[in-house]
Amino acid sequence: MSKPAALRWGGRLITVLTIAGIGLVLLPYFWMVSSSLKTGSEVFELPIRWLPEHLQWANYPNALSRWSFGTYFLNSTVVAVAVMICNLLFCSLAGYGFAKFRFRFREAWFILVLCTLMLPLEIVLVPTYLVVRQLGLVDTYAGLIAPLAVDAFGIFLMRQYIRDLPDSLIEAARLDGCSEFGIFWRIILPNCKPALGALAILSFRDTWDQFLWPLIVVSKNALKTFPLGLAQMEGIDSAAYHEIMAVAVVGMLPAALIFLFFQRSFVRGIALSGVKE
Amino acid sequence: MSLRAGSRAIGDKSRIQSRRFWKGRPFHARLRTAGFLFVLPALLFLLIFKFLPMLDALRLSFFKYDLMSAPVFIGLQNYHTLWNNPLFHQAFWVSAKYMFGVSIPEWILALGLAILLNRRMPGRPLIRLAYFFPIAMSQIVVAMVWKFLYNPLGLVNNLLSYIGIDRVNWLSTEATALPALIAIGIWRGVPLFAVIYLAGLQSIPREYYEAARMDGAGPWQRFIHVTLPLLTPTILFIVVLSLISAMKVFLNPLVMTEGGPNGTTRVLPYFIYDTGFAYFRMGEAAAASMVLFCFVLGLTLIQLRLLRQGGPS
Repeated sequence: MSKPAALRWGGRLITVLTIAGIGLVLLPYFWMVSSSLKTGSEVFELPIRWLPEHLQWANYPNALSRWSFGTYFLNSTVVAVAVMICNLLFCSLAGYGFAKFRFRFREAWFILVLCTLMLPLEIVLVPTYLVVRQLGLVDTYAGLIAPLAVDAFGIFLMRQYIRDLPDSLIEAARLDGCSEFGIFWRIILPNCKPALGALAILSFRDTWDQFLWPLIVVSKNALKTFPLGLAQMEGIDSAAYHEIMAVAVVGMLPAALIFLFFQRSFVRGIALSGVKE
Repeated sequence: MSLRAGSRAIGDKSRIQSRRFWKGRPFHARLRTAGFLFVLPALLFLLIFKFLPMLDALRLSFFKYDLMSAPVFIGLQNYHTLWNNPLFHQAFWVSAKYMFGVSIPEWILALGLAILLNRRMPGRPLIRLAYFFPIAMSQIVVAMVWKFLYNPLGLVNNLLSYIGIDRVNWLSTEATALPALIAIGIWRGVPLFAVIYLAGLQSIPREYYEAARMDGAGPWQRFIHVTLPLLTPTILFIVVLSLISAMKVFLNPLVMTEGGPNGTTRVLPYFIYDTGFAYFRMGEAAAASMVLFCFVLGLTLIQLRLLRQGGPS
């Protein structure tokens, strides 16, 4: 009788430790939010001031108005939404083509697509910049968007999902006289909402996050995205950490909200990225 | 079904007329064309923004090019310059240290976390939510928060002062700058890889564990003989994925340490960026990109090979 009891207590201890570990993971975020509502001196106080004495809501408007964060947020949103729409459209089109059609060199094309997973922007940075410059897209929205508009992972994800849809759906529509694009638009797309959801969220997050590409392709202040703005503010205003944290909190809101509302799709998308053929 | 399609086709003559060319071709040829047209837009994008640049990088690595004057062919000179550049050697080793410093703890900690989160316990969905929440956070926010935490007057030093450790200027001391960045990498990577491990764990049929339990296997034996073998593909995937993503790290060194102090955090992507966009030596940067690419290629090939050997099929 004593052994099961010991086991049960051991299990409870592990559960408590698991919960305690959350603190380690979330502490920096707690500190960020708490600091964003402190005065400039409370931030570094010792003994540590975990919560502000009076909530300094004014930090937010002060920090955001001093720099053109309205513009930066708008730019980030425009770019992230455009990239997301491009990815949803092109990746599902290509995924459908690879999943349900036979055409010459299909496997070769698909392997070629997968190969681009080995070519992250960090590696093809210089020549990608040169291509974009050749196209005259430096310092434009199109230049910010185009190199991110199709991601091989999205094609892979959509292909895997569409492949499992029954062929009879497509054949029935074809017999009904539906055009090939009509089949894609009216039959395939509505049937792969979960995969589209995962792709949309991952794409939005990755683009919102993108730092390296805007850093290189954009020099006009009017085109800078939020990450550039935040880094620039920190570089110049490095003492005003309470205000930097206020901007950081605002900057993490889109990702945080998306995660909380769509966490199932989000986690599924990440888990799917680990599923190999 | 076919009857209905037929009657509709008769009623819609003009549509048929306009599509006579299309309809005139054999059914299968039509489908082949349609399939290719579906993948074409994505292929074009990848061709222009991935393959073309890659080929261009290879070409450029044999040229001297500063963006202003025309490129001049100089053969293997760029590779030779790299080989003799102590900064390149330094960047190479910094990248290697960072990669393994981050990845190896990630493999172990993420597996541990996934096993913990796979246990039955009260409030499990909420606990998972809390652990997975940081995955959504943007890198730049993470970089700013940690720069703040590592500040000489910041939270890390304040916490350590409670146990009597003197203040350290983490990001501008040669001995601590890289470990400080490695700690952030681990902290950020573990929840992400735990999600992938967890998906792997959940795909292991429960009966296997019950069978092992019937045979008298304890928790540790079940882990060694059931979990590990069945999780091998996931583990291999994570090993390579974590190495590649650690190899690409760039943002944190750029905004937190600017590669310093004394280049101790200047990783390979940072070196490429500096060479290309600070010194405008595009050819040399492209040559360094090729070296980096060879590593990614090598890792991927190893992964494919291991997957083929270790895979169930």
